[in-house]
Amino acid sequence: MADNTLVLTNVTKRFGGLVAVDDLSFTVKQGQIYGIIGPNGAGKTTVFNCITGIHPCEEGSINWCGEEIRLLSPHKIVQRGIVRTFQTIRLFSQMSVAENIMSGRHIKSSQGWWNAIVPTPGSKKDEKKNWQRVGELLDFFDLSDVTVNAAGSLPYGTQRRVEMARAMATEPKLLILDEPAAGLNDQETLGLIETIYKIKDLGVTILLIEHDMDLVMEVTEYLTVINFGKKIAEGTPDVIQKDPAVIEAYLGSEDDDE
Amino acid sequence: MKKKQILLYTAFFLIMALLPLVANSKWLAVGTTFLIFSVVALSQDIVLGKAGMFNMGQALFFGLGAYTTAILNAKFNWPLLATMPLAILVPALFGILLAGPIIHLRGDYLLVTTIGFNIVFVQVLQNNLGGITGGPNGIFGVESLSLPGLADSPQTSAFYLSLIVLLITFVLMHNLEKSKAGRALHYLREDDLAAGAIGINTRVYKIFSFGLGAGMAGMAGTIYANQYSAVSPEAFDFVQSVLFFSIVIVGGSSIPGILLGVFLMFVLPEIFRDFATWRYFIFGIAMIMTMILRPRGLWPASFGNIPKELIRGDQNGR
Repeated sequence: MADNTLVLTNVTKRFGGLVAVDDLSFTVKQGQIYGIIGPNGAGKTTVFNCITGIHPCEEGSINWCGEEIRLLSPHKIVQRGIVRTFQTIRLFSQMSVAENIMSGRHIKSSQGWWNAIVPTPGSKKDEKKNWQRVGELLDFFDLSDVTVNAAGSLPYGTQRRVEMARAMATEPKLLILDEPAAGLNDQETLGLIETIYKIKDLGVTILLIEHDMDLVMEVTEYLTVINFGKKIAEGTPDVIQKDPAVIEAYLGSEDDDE
Repeated sequence: MKKKQILLYTAFFLIMALLPLVANSKWLAVGTTFLIFSVVALSQDIVLGKAGMFNMGQALFFGLGAYTTAILNAKFNWPLLATMPLAILVPALFGILLAGPIIHLRGDYLLVTTIGFNIVFVQVLQNNLGGITGGPNGIFGVESLSLPGLADSPQTSAFYLSLIVLLITFVLMHNLEKSKAGRALHYLREDDLAAGAIGINTRVYKIFSFGLGAGMAGMAGTIYANQYSAVSPEAFDFVQSVLFFSIVIVGGSSIPGILLGVFLMFVLPEIFRDFATWRYFIFGIAMIMTMILRPRGLWPASFGNIPKELIRGDQNGR
């Protein structure tokens, strides 16, 4: 496979007797905006947890750039260029926006643990360089007005942007967004779409889960639909919208999950 | 650092440096213990306040440092200051070794485990392991260092030595705060899942905080052995760990907060010694009130200490 391709093959994840992800396979190609949709409780977030190493799956294979990453711990997966955001925003809420974004620079920083005891000219330079990069990200995500504000005190939409800025600070190749539009109003959603395109223009591949169908149909290039952990359809948004299995999954099981 | 902070710290050190001129030897001893406990409480802050791990065994590392100094000095005749590097390294190593297998435990589970370590440690000391810990009586005859020019007053020497060690500790805390590893600890406390998901090796940095905190507490151990010319097991038991734990919680995770905490928890009871047991009654109530009214401590940690050039316009933060 070519570079920067994520291939899931027959991934299965069980929690006790519950099969959360069942024999799922899909391929995300470089530069795509790839969507995963499905009713509540279909196992979408679990798929993300498997890819990012939070809940490693027992069966199947997750291949990234030709390397098996199924059993790697989360921080090693970030080092390989895959980073995620969370459905329920997980910021370092007491800390400032700038410090939150700086956390993404952690893996790019050349400082060792000993620099926490004795700083060297090199570590000071590295520190400065990374703060500078944080400044650029603050501008890119239009957050420079809230640089010093505590992340937890900001409106929901802004927190989402902070979380994306933090993820982008790691300079990922693949950005995974878990329901980025959840809890956003219409105007914030429009802003989000713009941001997603801006990130794509940087050459970052995007994989996202979303409930907001308008958003999914507009931004994604390719979709996989899952229900009860199984893939029920895949294709371009136009194809998916007409797929009878998808329509049934959405209409037939609207409220028997969660 | 901001101007206000520099002023505050300079004032603190000036007052401390001048204290021997006005205090008698009893109060100088109280002052010395205040400085020593401040170093230990700051080391506890690295693990509890910054990394957010419930470690209730800090007295273990403090004691390990003190015993390392006492054994090397009283039994092997090493000069006191020469024992300090080992009094830092031995606890740091133990911190890393002990933390390794328990670091994945959370909150209350970790707390109980660290209490267990502390109890085992005191038992080992009391049972005179290897014939070098002196059993329940501990070790006597540790050298009292005299600093140049202060040969006639060992207490003043001990005081200034402790002040120097506290100054070193302040520098270390400052360096930590301005480094990648220091920030990583904050991220761990706030949300360790998110910290892992952003690329931080949570396990390594948790162990790092234990090692660093233990080393710092060990350094305080050396000056403790110097101050009392002796070490004994009960000075490092679990109740002492509870005290350090409470200092960080009541004071808040900041240098002024910790100093305030040590002052309230240690110096104030000395001042009100005349009120005998009542002081602890009032004290307990004060602790409860602090936690209800200021759950993050009297002087909580402040964030947003970021380079000025990142701040546009006139933002005031929160």
